[in-house]
Amino acid sequence: MTRRLVLLLFVMVVATGALSPAVAQDVIELEGWVAFSDHRYDWAVDTAERFNALHDDINVTMLSVADYDTIVNNYTLGREDGTYPEIVQLFDAALQFAVDSNWFDFAEDIIAGREEVLGHPVNFDDIIPVISNYYTVDGVWASVAWNTSTPIMYYNVDVLAQAGVTELPRTWAEVLDACAALQPLVDDGTISACASWPFSAWFIEQWTAQQNEYMVNNENGRAARATEFNLDTDAYRAIAEFYRELFTNDYFIYEGQEQWGPTTQNFISGKVAIHMSSSAGARAVSEGAAATGFTLGTTGMAYNQDAPDGWVGNILGGATMYISNGLAPEVRDAAMAFLLFFSNTENSASWHTASGYVPVRNSSIELLKNLEPGNDLLWDIPSGGRVDIEATDWYAAFPNFLTASTQLGDSTVNNATRGSTYGTFQQSRPYYNGVVEEYMLNGGDLDAMIAETNAELTELLQEYNFLFADE
Amino acid sequence: MEEIAYIVHPIVVTLVGAGFGALYFAFLRWQTQVGGLRASLGVGAIAGVAGATMLTAPLGYCMFQGDQSSEDVMVGWIMVGIGLLLTLNIGSVVLWRYFRGQRLLPRGDTTPGAFRSRFGFVYAMAVLSPTILVLVYFVYLPMFDTLRLSTFLARFGAPRTRFICVSNFSRMLGDADYHSNLFLSFALSFGIIIIAMSLALLIASMLNQPIVGANIYRTLLIWPYAISPIVAGSIFGLLLGTESGIVNRVLDLLFGVKVKWLVTIPAAQISVVLASVWNVIGFNILFYTAGLQTIPKDLLESASIDGAGAWQRFTRITFPLLSPFTFFLIVTNTIYAFFDTFGVIFVMTRGGPTESTFTAMYRVYVTGILTSDIGKSTAQSLILFLIVVGITIFQFRVGQRRVQYGNY
Repeated sequence: MTRRLVLLLFVMVVATGALSPAVAQDVIELEGWVAFSDHRYDWAVDTAERFNALHDDINVTMLSVADYDTIVNNYTLGREDGTYPEIVQLFDAALQFAVDSNWFDFAEDIIAGREEVLGHPVNFDDIIPVISNYYTVDGVWASVAWNTSTPIMYYNVDVLAQAGVTELPRTWAEVLDACAALQPLVDDGTISACASWPFSAWFIEQWTAQQNEYMVNNENGRAARATEFNLDTDAYRAIAEFYRELFTNDYFIYEGQEQWGPTTQNFISGKVAIHMSSSAGARAVSEGAAATGFTLGTTGMAYNQDAPDGWVGNILGGATMYISNGLAPEVRDAAMAFLLFFSNTENSASWHTASGYVPVRNSSIELLKNLEPGNDLLWDIPSGGRVDIEATDWYAAFPNFLTASTQLGDSTVNNATRGSTYGTFQQSRPYYNGVVEEYMLNGGDLDAMIAETNAELTELLQEYNFLFADE
Repeated sequence: MEEIAYIVHPIVVTLVGAGFGALYFAFLRWQTQVGGLRASLGVGAIAGVAGATMLTAPLGYCMFQGDQSSEDVMVGWIMVGIGLLLTLNIGSVVLWRYFRGQRLLPRGDTTPGAFRSRFGFVYAMAVLSPTILVLVYFVYLPMFDTLRLSTFLARFGAPRTRFICVSNFSRMLGDADYHSNLFLSFALSFGIIIIAMSLALLIASMLNQPIVGANIYRTLLIWPYAISPIVAGSIFGLLLGTESGIVNRVLDLLFGVKVKWLVTIPAAQISVVLASVWNVIGFNILFYTAGLQTIPKDLLESASIDGAGAWQRFTRITFPLLSPFTFFLIVTNTIYAFFDTFGVIFVMTRGGPTESTFTAMYRVYVTGILTSDIGKSTAQSLILFLIVVGITIFQFRVGQRRVQYGNY
C-alpha cells in the first residue's frame, strides 16, 4: 500500500515536472506595481484581468505598493537585487529620476513608429496636449499616462448663496471677498471658517505655473538640466502673501502640511464653504457632499488676478506607467500592449468615473458625452465591477467631473505649465512649502527666508546633478 | 608626488594624541599610586596615538587638509577626542588590571560543563556561529557601511558617489536648523520618558491592588505597545483634528473651545509626546507590574506595623526596590523616544508647524528614506547613535550608584 502510494506520488511529481515548463514557456508573466490600495487598485486589477482574457499568452498581475514615495524606494532597492516589476507606476515628481536612472525604456522608443502593438492601436495624438507634454523628455514620450489630476475648487453652493455669493469665486481676490461675505455665518456658527484645504507644495507649483513662472532655472529644467532654484520671484511672494491674508483674517483652517484627509473632511462635513483639492477626489467629495446634503459647485483652481499674464494654465499631477529596461523584446511588447489597452479610450473613460482623475484622451471625453446603453463604463465601488452609465451624457449628469478636463484643456502649453523637472523635486517640496508656512503663521522677513531657502535648494540640486548628470 | 598642504599636520595630531595619553595615564598613576610611572607614560602615549589616529587616519587626515573649512577641522578634533575617549578608557582599564595582577579580561561566572573541556572553545564557537554570522552580516557589516557612507555624497540609484571627507558632519555643526532638531529631540524625549514612566508606575501600582478583573485590565493596558508608532500616530491624528477630531468635539460641547492641537506651538509638541507616551506606556506597565510582584509582602507589612504610611512605604521600600526596573526602563525609553517616534511625527505633524516637531531622527528619516540622500542621512544617524550611547553610558555611571539589585 505504502509502496504504491510512493510510486503514485513519484509519477505525479515527474508528470508535473515535465508539464509545467511547457506551460510556463507559453505565458509571459508581467508584474505591475501601483501605489493604490482602495477601489482604484481594484479597478487596475479588474482591467488587467480584462486584458488577460484577451491574451492567452500574457498574464498581468497588479501589485499594490503603499504610496508614491514607497514605490520609488522599493523599485530602487529592487533594482539592486533584481526583484523589480516589468511595469511600475511613478508619480510626476519622479520624472527626472526616471530619466536619470536609465532604468526604463521609453514608450515611444518601444513603439518605434508602429501603429499597433499586439493588436492594440497606438494613438497618442488623441491625448490632451498639456498631459503629453509633461511626460515628453527631449522630445520623446517617456511613459504612458494613467492617473492624471489637477487641482480644482470645491464650493458649498448653499452656504455661499446664504451669504449672498452667487458667482463662484475664480480669483484669489474673489475668494477673499467671499470669505469676508461669509463672516456673519462664521460668527453665528453656521460654519467654522470660510476655507480649508491641504497646505500642499503641489499647490505652490500650480500657482507658480498659473503665473507663468518657473520653479527652477533653464525654463523649469525643460530647456536644459536645471542647475539653480528660482524661488526669488514675485509669483512665489504673491502665494505667500495670499496665504498670509487668508490666515491672519481667520478665513483659513490650517491643519498642517499635506493634510489631505482632515481638510476634505472639514469640507464635506459642511464646516467650511471653500475647499481646494485634487480633481482625483471629485468622486469622494461629490458623494460626501450628497451624504451631508449640500449642493456642490466646482471651478478651476483660483488664480492670482494681479499676475502680469493672468491665468496661463495649470500643470497636471498624478502618475504614469513606466516599463523597465532590459526585458526580452516579446516581454517588452506585451507590457507595452497592456499599457496601450490600460489607457485606451474606453478604459480611460471608465477610470475617470472610478475616481475623478481626468480622462487622458479627448476621445474618452467624447465617449462620455455620447453614451449608449451597454457601455459598461461606470466603476461601481460597492460591487467592485463595471456597470452601465445610465445617463446619455455623463458630464451633463455630473458637471463637476468636467471641471478638471476643462482646466487642463484650456491651459496654454509652455514650459511653465509643462511643470518643472529636476532631480531633487520631492526633497525640495517641504522646503518651499515650509517658507510659505512660516510666513503664513508668523510673518517675518519673507525675502530673507526666500534667499536662504533658495540657496539651500540650489546646493541640494547641484549635489544631485553631480551624482547623476552626464559629465 | 605633490606635497599635500595641511592646516594641522598628521604628525601634530599624532603628537597631541601621544602627549594627551601620556599625561592622562600619569595622572591616573598619581591618583591610584599603583604601577610604574614609565610604563604608564609609555602605554598612555601608545593608547593616545591609537586614539588620535583611529578615526582620522582611515580617512587620510582629509579633514585637516588645506582646502577644508574650519568646521571640518573642528570635526577632525572631535573625532580625535572620541577616539581618545575610547582607547584611553580601554587602555587604562587593561593596564591597571595588569598592575594589580588581575586577569586582563573579567572571567565569566560559568558553571562547569561542556565548554570547560579541551575543545570547549571550539565547541562553543561552533554552537554560536549561526548567531554570529547573522549578526555580522545583518548588523556589523551594515554598520561599517554606514560609517563609510557618512563620508560620501550618495543617493540611491545614482551612478556614482563622491568622497567628501567629513562635510556631512561639519555641515551639521553650523546648521542652526539641525541644532534645533537636536534640542527638540532632547526636549520631547525628556517629556516622553518622564510622563510615560511616572504614569506607568501609577497605573501599575493600581493594578497591583487586589481588584476584580485585574488580568483583563493588564492585558488591555499593555495593548497599545503592540501597535506600531505609525498606527498610534494615525489614531491620535484622528482624535486631535481641529474641526473633525473627537477631542475637540467634546471640548466644544463642554467648554465651547477648540484647540488647534496639531498646528500650533506647543500643542503640537504636546500631542506628539502624548501619542508617544500612549504607544510606549504598555511596555512600562508590563515591567513595573512584574517588578511590583517581586516585592515581598512581608516587608511592606512589617513596615506598616512599624507605623509607615502608604506614601512612606512607597518612597522608602517600593520605589527603591523597583530601581532595577526603573533603570532598565529609562534606558529603553530613551532609545524609544529618540529613535522610534518619527513614525508618530510623520503621521501627525510632518515635523510641523514650522518644524516645531522636527526631531533629529525624523530628519534622518526624511533625508534618507523619503528623499534618498543617504550620505547626509547616515551622518545624521551616526550623530544620534553617539548621543544615545553617550546618554546610556551616563545613565549606567549614575545608575550604578543608585540602583539596588537586592537579594530579598
